[in-house]
Amino acid sequence: MSGVELAILGFVAMLGMIAIRIPIAAAMAITGFVGVWILRGSPDPMMNLLKSVTWDVFASYSLSIVPLFLLMGQFASKSGMSERLFRATADWLGHRPGGIAIAAVGACAGFGAVSGSSLATASTMGQVALPEMKRYGYSDPLATGVLAAGGTLGILIPPSIILVIYAILTEQNIEKMFAAAILPGLLAVAGYILVVMIYVALRPDAAQRMPRQPWAVRRSSLVRVWPVVAVFVLVIGGIAADWNWLKPGRQALFTPIEGAAVGAVLTGLYGLLTGGLDRRSFTTSILEAAQATGMIYLILFGAQVFNTFLAFTRTPQTLADWVVTAGFSPMVVLLLMLATYLIFGCVMDSLSMILLTIPIFFPIVQSLEFGLTPDETAIWFGILVLIVVEVGLITPPVGMNLFIINALAREVPIRRTYAGVMPFVVSDLIRVAVLIASPWLSLVLVRAM
Amino acid sequence: MGAALLGGLVLAGIAGMTVISVIGRALAGYGLGPVRGDFELVQIGCAIAVFSFLPWCQIRRGHVTVDLLVERFSPRVQAALRLLGDIALGAVAVLMARQLWAGMIDKFCADPSDPLFGWLWNMTGIAQPYCWVEATYELNLPAWWGYAAGTLGAGLFAVVTLHSVWQSLNEVLR
Repeated sequence: MSGVELAILGFVAMLGMIAIRIPIAAAMAITGFVGVWILRGSPDPMMNLLKSVTWDVFASYSLSIVPLFLLMGQFASKSGMSERLFRATADWLGHRPGGIAIAAVGACAGFGAVSGSSLATASTMGQVALPEMKRYGYSDPLATGVLAAGGTLGILIPPSIILVIYAILTEQNIEKMFAAAILPGLLAVAGYILVVMIYVALRPDAAQRMPRQPWAVRRSSLVRVWPVVAVFVLVIGGIAADWNWLKPGRQALFTPIEGAAVGAVLTGLYGLLTGGLDRRSFTTSILEAAQATGMIYLILFGAQVFNTFLAFTRTPQTLADWVVTAGFSPMVVLLLMLATYLIFGCVMDSLSMILLTIPIFFPIVQSLEFGLTPDETAIWFGILVLIVVEVGLITPPVGMNLFIINALAREVPIRRTYAGVMPFVVSDLIRVAVLIASPWLSLVLVRAM
Repeated sequence: MGAALLGGLVLAGIAGMTVISVIGRALAGYGLGPVRGDFELVQIGCAIAVFSFLPWCQIRRGHVTVDLLVERFSPRVQAALRLLGDIALGAVAVLMARQLWAGMIDKFCADPSDPLFGWLWNMTGIAQPYCWVEATYELNLPAWWGYAAGTLGAGLFAVVTLHSVWQSLNEVLR
């Protein structure tokens, strides 16, 4: 059996295991282990590798940004930053048609700026905004759909766990990836707001208006979001911006990992000092960050084992060579890849998808000609993958964000949530098309760095 | 839960240490400086934290599965598949802990002629004469320390997954 055939067999076996609810990480690790065993005729090479691979993954300096950002997001959510954001946007926009839903999108975007995870954003904003939308008679599909979609802003707007993992896998600058994600993230906010506006224009009965708030209230609620702004400016600005124009080159305040640490400490201190975090919510923050970290790292471990097997079979190079010699149009290949993410996104989680596909897709993308430098292609492709993977979080039947929002709004049948999110999926797809057609949207900030 | 909390405090600790290091570096002109070995402390601290998070994640059944297909099966089949999934995870956890232990032994350097512990090293058979202690670059921390802490966490993870197997087995037999 050739290496590529064995790799395909491995993929099928792994997907089969995942389908019968074997934990994804275990399915990847077992397939990788058995695969190398078959390839080498002995378990010893893999056993030897396992002596060090776990430690090497868990003690990776660049990956340590993941638990730090998760901790920061937890602190931000538990210390009341999400309520303040939503209060401010709702006071300013709530009296407009569909205003509370638009406010929810805005608050999700704001929270996404201090949180790197979609699930955390969806659940924390859902808790805050769902009761308010219910109070003003928002229809179930609109209320749950907008929050599930808004939650994806958590990873679209930097910091973003998925972007970090992509940057590490493809050896790109995390700073540059973050900078590249800003404009597409704002585009997403605009798209979602537009969807809400069209929705309420077509169905005026889907939402009532909040009473208009006096200016004094608006001002004070806007002032109260300063901690969120401060944390975002210091963390993302400190990582990506130039802080000393006198010296040549970009002088960042700190590395991305240091930035994540600063963010975690700032949000934690802020919560403790203002009393937003008491001992109990501090403990829950740590435990929830711990659970998410454990889940992510076990998948990272499984993917490392599986990708070792994949590398042994030499599939990535073989495939890349084949695509180049076959002379497919680069755009067709790109579209096929993005379509793959959309299809698998209906059933798989985003992190596993990235970890399993990037080692195969990335060499192919790098060998194709898009009229960009290799680094620019890598960044642009990363943003596109980020978006299609994020669409996977809100596409029925399996979308984590849909489940989270549905768990918060128990009385809403999941079908209604499915229906409500579809317009937002459409806006996502339009945005992907726009970003494919104009790579400069993703690259203009990177080029300015 | 205790282990996860402890790991969480380690994580918060390395975050705090990093902040101090950043401030120290910024004030380098005023007699301060970055924390020595901050880089390797982050690595080791992060690894220890993550190892301590694995068992907690399993207690909360937080490791990702895809439930889509399985939900259509009868409860009995579902219970059997849950057992299968737990066995698979258990096997991975046991293998991880065992090989981490083996990795620690590799990095461990014991002197069989040591007057205090020589007898112990000889008895356990882990002593390797003429070995070299692998250590971190700046603080000279022996590499096996981290492995030992990691093995503890991975061992706990293995125990928890085996407990899950036992629970699912009871579920199937009931």
